[in-house]
Amino acid sequence: MTTIFGVPSAVLFGQLLLGLVNGAFYAMLSLGLAVIFGMMNIVNFAHGAQYMMGAMLAWLLLNFLGVGYWWALILAPMAVGLGGVVLERFLLRRLYGLDHLYGMLLTFGLALMVQGALGNWFGSSGQPYAIPAELTGGRNLGFMFLPNYRAWVLVASLVVCLGTWYVIERTRLGAYLRAATENPVLVQAFGIRVPRMIMLTYGAGVALAALAGALAAPVYQVSPSMGADLLIVVFAVVVIGGMGSIMGSIVTGFLVGLIEGVTKAYYPELSGTVVFVVMAVVLMLRPAGLFGAKLDGAGGHQEATEAPRSSSPRAHIVLALAAIMAVAPLVVYPGFMMKAMIFALFACAFNLIAGYGRLVSFGHAMFLGSAGYVCGHAAKVWALTPELAILTGTATAALLGLVSGWLAIRRSGIYFAMVTLAFAQMIYFVALQAPFTGGENGLQGVPRGMLFGLIDLSKPVNLYVFVTVIFLAGFVLIMRLVDSPFGQVLRAISNHEARAQSLGFETDRYKCLAFTLSAALAGLAGSTKAIVTQIATLTDAHWSMSGEVLLMTFLGGVGTPLGPVIGAFVVVAMQNYLAGVGQWVAVIHGLIFAVCVLAFRRGIVGEVSAWWHHRGSRGSGAVPSTGQAVPGK
Amino acid sequence: MAEAAERIDDPRFVLQTRDLTRQFDGFFALRKVNFRLARDSVHAVIGPNGAGKTTLFNLLTKHLAPSEGAILHDGEDVTRLKMPAMAKRGVVRSFQISAVFAGLTVQENVEVALLRGSGLAWNLLGRISKQSGVAERAAALLRRFGLAEHAETMAGNLSYGRKRVLELATTLALEPKVLLLDEPMAGLGREDIGRVTALIQQARRGRTVLLVEHNMNVVAELADRITVMVRGEIAAEGSYAEVAANPAVITAYTGRAHG
Ligand SMILES: Nc1ncnc2c1ncn2[C@@H]1O[C@H](COP(=O)(O)OP(=O)(O)OP(=O)(O)O)[C@@H](O)[C@H]1O
Ligand SMILES: [Mg+2]
Repeated sequence: MTTIFGVPSAVLFGQLLLGLVNGAFYAMLSLGLAVIFGMMNIVNFAHGAQYMMGAMLAWLLLNFLGVGYWWALILAPMAVGLGGVVLERFLLRRLYGLDHLYGMLLTFGLALMVQGALGNWFGSSGQPYAIPAELTGGRNLGFMFLPNYRAWVLVASLVVCLGTWYVIERTRLGAYLRAATENPVLVQAFGIRVPRMIMLTYGAGVALAALAGALAAPVYQVSPSMGADLLIVVFAVVVIGGMGSIMGSIVTGFLVGLIEGVTKAYYPELSGTVVFVVMAVVLMLRPAGLFGAKLDGAGGHQEATEAPRSSSPRAHIVLALAAIMAVAPLVVYPGFMMKAMIFALFACAFNLIAGYGRLVSFGHAMFLGSAGYVCGHAAKVWALTPELAILTGTATAALLGLVSGWLAIRRSGIYFAMVTLAFAQMIYFVALQAPFTGGENGLQGVPRGMLFGLIDLSKPVNLYVFVTVIFLAGFVLIMRLVDSPFGQVLRAISNHEARAQSLGFETDRYKCLAFTLSAALAGLAGSTKAIVTQIATLTDAHWSMSGEVLLMTFLGGVGTPLGPVIGAFVVVAMQNYLAGVGQWVAVIHGLIFAVCVLAFRRGIVGEVSAWWHHRGSRGSGAVPSTGQAVPGK
Repeated sequence: MAEAAERIDDPRFVLQTRDLTRQFDGFFALRKVNFRLARDSVHAVIGPNGAGKTTLFNLLTKHLAPSEGAILHDGEDVTRLKMPAMAKRGVVRSFQISAVFAGLTVQENVEVALLRGSGLAWNLLGRISKQSGVAERAAALLRRFGLAEHAETMAGNLSYGRKRVLELATTLALEPKVLLLDEPMAGLGREDIGRVTALIQQARRGRTVLLVEHNMNVVAELADRITVMVRGEIAAEGSYAEVAANPAVITAYTGRAHG
């Protein structure tokens, strides 16, 4: 038997083939993302869900209507694409002209809803889909065995990818599409109905995802969650390749698949994370991506319309919060209060960077999760006192924040979101595989211990006071940061980065520090959580946790001091009281996302204060006061 | 080469460019421009739309990287520096499309610049009101620029003219040695133009000012020297009278200057 660098050649070629097949799906999905992004400036977070819908639909057609593979290959993309057209026409269209992030949040919410609902109906376990009779079997190529279906997937995806490339780069239709992205008004003047073109492009991009899903059905297990993790890898592919070029997406997709294949053959432990490592290296060496256009200066800026405004850490907010926390255990279950306070701190930390720094991270769970593991390990295995264990966890999160932030801030806006999401997925894989985390079971039996060696935290009252103090201290600290000179500079940078640079601010350093601080505070929340719940679990590191903190913050009011606190309490309360409805919680989360983005972009606090100001100004006929103590007056 | 060396040593010029070129996908927005900005002068760059004036500014302030050529500041090659580094060397610009921090109050806008100047920007826990005179200096600047009564207004809610004045105030808060103004009068009414012209006259003391301007009355009033750019190249240079009399300028510069 021949070996190549110690690996049997049949195994190596087998893994390379598998890698190429995976790469085919990466290529098709990142291609669809690139087409949609190029046309509409929307990062389609529903892409993974739409891919899954293609596969599910193929499976449903076969099992309920007896419609076979070949028809499914046509019908599934058409149906899902049509759904995409409707989605664009009635929902996405309302978001044009707004910050790209809203499109991302809306499609993320919709994906949560679809995944949650299907998970509820069909369960989360995978369903097999038989390879069609024409494509069973395989052939021996001499150096390896090539299953026919895999060969078919490779050929089909290449045809689809190159066909899409040809249409966009080489035909008149493609020329109109490209022209419409550059100058919609001009193209409209040529008598082309640009809105309809955009609608159809979105439908086509979505159909592409569904086609990939139908093709994937016989290769992978068909399950409602099959698209979510795949999408994160595809985001990493997109960051590696750069979304600027169609051919770039295709090449990068296959390339990443191959790299994964090689890694699986030689170093299987790393195969889940290698794509994220590649992404980090690319960010370091070529931040715009392998095929991306050069990044010039600070890039474009958007005039801040719904800008956050500062408000002083008014002592009365803190006092009121303290009073509520003191009285609450009399009426509410203290366990609930502690959980809510921990998540409130997490959301406030997130708000520091997302609200005031306008860097919306989709990966904040990595700080919550990793700090929880390290704190738990420190308390359990190293037998540190709780305050030292928490400090260790917080410091770990800060370090992780420094490194990931240093890389992530090289990209802004939607790319920043994708990069942070990808890094968080990498940390998730590490947590899944590392020897000390307890894998699926989590790190159990974390002792609460004696605070400073004196105060017994296993006493409920002590624990409650301890959590309250940490929450309030964190809250005050964040408010101080926001109101400090640094915070003011940070807000300025988030308003208009190029202007801040032209005034002499090295904006990357400020953003990096803000990100690190936010990570550290999220880590403080995660560490405290580990001590309180006595367990550190994978849930806290999962991407859905990053989504939850986004939800809390946007629901409460991003960029307002109290918004994240209120959002966290609402979401935690919902989870507590809706615990019986299983996966429907995800659907409800998704629904809230969608409603927030479409109707209440300012969140609870923002909407209430806007209403209050409006009312006040009508009543007195005066200009609404900003409610802000202006220094020097 | 000899000529280049000679220019490097010439202390009369604050900023100099050597064959400065910038392409956009093969299109030359700026082609082999040799430009010199004399110390303590007010120098205007004029030219039709798309002539490359803003591109020149973007290159001088590092907003864009040049495709070819070099930039010298005080005799040092600064071609590879980044945007913030230029500001720290005292070269500060305004933008053609007004650039204020829309979500900050007018006062906060000016304070941000003062914080950079006074090195307090890394203070994480302090309050602006307690920072050695930052708030007072900001208030004084706002009074000088007639913005005092708007100190608490969100900058994004100001009228266009006031935004431009605020941008000028923020820029001057840094006490720049070289002030680059890209169309400071664009979009202003006649009254505002008079005010801003007076403010620039005031600001020019002890500074070098480079401005792009389409309003020829303003150029005539402010500028000691004028460079005419056409299609990415310098078409003429000289005093107002010299440039106005240059037939090449009149043909290239179709009507707009006097229209
Ligand atoms: N980022 C860019 N990408 C592509 N082309 C650009 C870019 N910036 C400028 N250009 C082109 O370079 C040329 C010069 O533009 P520039 O903005 O420097 O002109 P200008 O002299 O400032 O004109 P105006 O008087 O209209 O402000 C124009 O043709 C413009 O279209
Ligand atoms: Mg210009």
